[in-house]
Amino acid sequence: MNILEVRNLKKYFATQKAVDDISLEIPQGSIFGLLGPNGAGKTTLIRMITGIFYPDSGEIILKGKPFDPENDARFIGYMPEERGLYKKMKIGEQALYLARLKGLSRQDAMVKIKDWFARLEMDSWWNKKVEDLSKGMGQKLQFVITVLHEPDLIILDEPFSGLDPVNSNLIKDEIYRLAKKGSTIIFSTHRMEQVEEICDQIVLVNKGKKILDGSVQQIKQEFKENLYGIQLEHVPDTIQSQAFEVIGQNKEGLIVRIAEGFKPNDVLGYFMQQGININSFKEILPSLNDIFIKLVEGTPTARQFQTISA
Amino acid sequence: MNKILLIIQREFLTRVRKRTFIISTIMFPLLYLGLIFGTGYIADKTREDLKIALIDHSGLFSEKLVQLVNGNDSSNTLKLISENTEKTMLSFDSMGYDGYVVIPQNFDWKTGTDSLMVNTKKSFGMGAINPVERKVNQIWNKIKHDSLGLDIAKETILNKTVSLKLKNQKDKNANVVIATTIGYVCGFLMYIILLLYGSQVMMGVTEEKTSRIAEVVVSSVKPFQLMVGKIIGIGMVALAQFLIWIACIFIIYNIGKTSGAGGGNMSEMVGHIQNVFTSVNLPLVVGCFIFYLLAGFFFYSSLYAAIGSAINEDMREAQSLSFPITMLIIFSIALMTPTISNPSSPVAVWASIIPFSSPIVMMARIPFGVPNTVPWWQLGLSMVSLIIGFMFTTWFAARIYRTGILMYGKKPSWKEMIKWAFRK
Repeated sequence: MNILEVRNLKKYFATQKAVDDISLEIPQGSIFGLLGPNGAGKTTLIRMITGIFYPDSGEIILKGKPFDPENDARFIGYMPEERGLYKKMKIGEQALYLARLKGLSRQDAMVKIKDWFARLEMDSWWNKKVEDLSKGMGQKLQFVITVLHEPDLIILDEPFSGLDPVNSNLIKDEIYRLAKKGSTIIFSTHRMEQVEEICDQIVLVNKGKKILDGSVQQIKQEFKENLYGIQLEHVPDTIQSQAFEVIGQNKEGLIVRIAEGFKPNDVLGYFMQQGININSFKEILPSLNDIFIKLVEGTPTARQFQTISA
Repeated sequence: MNKILLIIQREFLTRVRKRTFIISTIMFPLLYLGLIFGTGYIADKTREDLKIALIDHSGLFSEKLVQLVNGNDSSNTLKLISENTEKTMLSFDSMGYDGYVVIPQNFDWKTGTDSLMVNTKKSFGMGAINPVERKVNQIWNKIKHDSLGLDIAKETILNKTVSLKLKNQKDKNANVVIATTIGYVCGFLMYIILLLYGSQVMMGVTEEKTSRIAEVVVSSVKPFQLMVGKIIGIGMVALAQFLIWIACIFIIYNIGKTSGAGGGNMSEMVGHIQNVFTSVNLPLVVGCFIFYLLAGFFFYSSLYAAIGSAINEDMREAQSLSFPITMLIIFSIALMTPTISNPSSPVAVWASIIPFSSPIVMMARIPFGVPNTVPWWQLGLSMVSLIIGFMFTTWFAARIYRTGILMYGKKPSWKEMIKWAFRK
């Protein structure tokens, strides 16, 4: 079942088609990566999903029903890229206030805050103010506030920026834990190594349009270039074969591209015939980073302003 | 609805619990009184004691008469100079005079002269010169009386004057002095509350925008709810402050009354308050004040909220954008003086009905009496139009707000903001 479906969503601003006909489906319980270069329209898309903006056209279906921002707010937890909290308000009160704004009762909110604060070792923060926190601590607090009301859909915009590796891992573990408990997580970022590590599925947007959609494995397969890494006992001076060509060498060994119509066995056969021992042989799949750069390359790095007649 | 209540609660509590609220609640009346008495005191202290040389060529002015009038009023001193007149005219300042007046030789006791010149080396205001003029005329009056052969008894008869006092037949208790005072106090209080709390709304909105909490909150509530919650919350703070002041006046009054003729000052103050109670319909004034305070506050603060949402961290942007709004409030207070001097004039009537100026101007009129000075229809029309006014400004502001609160970068102009408001 899909927790969220977005159909033909459009949002045009005076000088930009921020989101231009995007459709996507997010299965319940998945960790979903929303990728795209700066200014691709990610934030605008998220703002529509969280009910901050109204779409110009298109539909948002949350849990099988048309999205109703006012009543569905409690199903969604959103952590914006630009973190924001009341600087002068006490942390405990602030968490309580924001949880109640999401629709939790006072008692419920208290229990949950106490629970989260205890787990992330934040008990001593209750009477402190946000301005007393370091950037990383603030980040942690922001995360807790986002997921406090146990939303079904959690949207995190660059959740790890500004976190040290220890706290990063802490948050990552919490994300896994939440996903295991049934929450769906949308993860907006341009840090590809994190996406590869965490996400099941991704969507890549650029210039307001969706240009890629699928599971991480599937996409990698789709973009593979028949590259293999082979480690040999010793590298012969000349390698001549119809089956493959050597396109590079690193400390692991040779990188070869298998020609059309040939199989990995042909590569192995060639070296075996020459009596060279093979230490290892593996397929090299492109990293998401490579795919991302390849797809986005050629489009101007900064989005140009355009005139919209809508 | 529940969420708006939460927002109101937060805005109210965070402000009321601040030390600045307590301090301002106590300090404001003290400062206000200090201002009134302080300026009076300073004006009294800095009054110029003029010393004027009177050079008499006519021979009518005598030392005796000059002494007599100097004795009546010590705020300035006249000195009759009969010798060394040339020297006095040349170097009066080094002789300790602020100026000199020459009575010409042809000065006749019957006709006198149109005007005389006070020659000085500094500039003096009318406030300083008028008493001198009065003295010179007193001397001349004496000369006239003596020349006409009037004795003291006849002179006293001639000097008798009558003063006019206003008595409103419909409103037996009307007291112009008290009404004027209450009118001024209400108008100024309204002015200060609108400006002070209006800018608090503006700064609060800007703070939410620049600290980026707005985006977190509007993913839970509608921007409209956030804006209205903030405005109502801060409005409640203003109301609470006002009610504390009213309560204090009642407490002082009651303590004073029960302690009877304890201290002289205390009973005097109680007497003043008693006067106010009997001559002004206090419940009506307080009730109207609360209405105009809240309605006027909603009218202006929603506009301030719209500006707060449009600006970024730079406070100069706030100043330039809020200038037109602030001007409206200042214009209203400028209309208050003519209103109080004639509360039934067309200017006063219209300014108290048109929404933007009505909170201040109507509050200056109401102490003069409802329904005699302010007919019921005017009060009703004024209230209805203010309600319509603030509903419009809130609608208008909300449309700017929802765009502005998430818009970073360049400061928009008023023209752009109006475009946001009327976009579908």
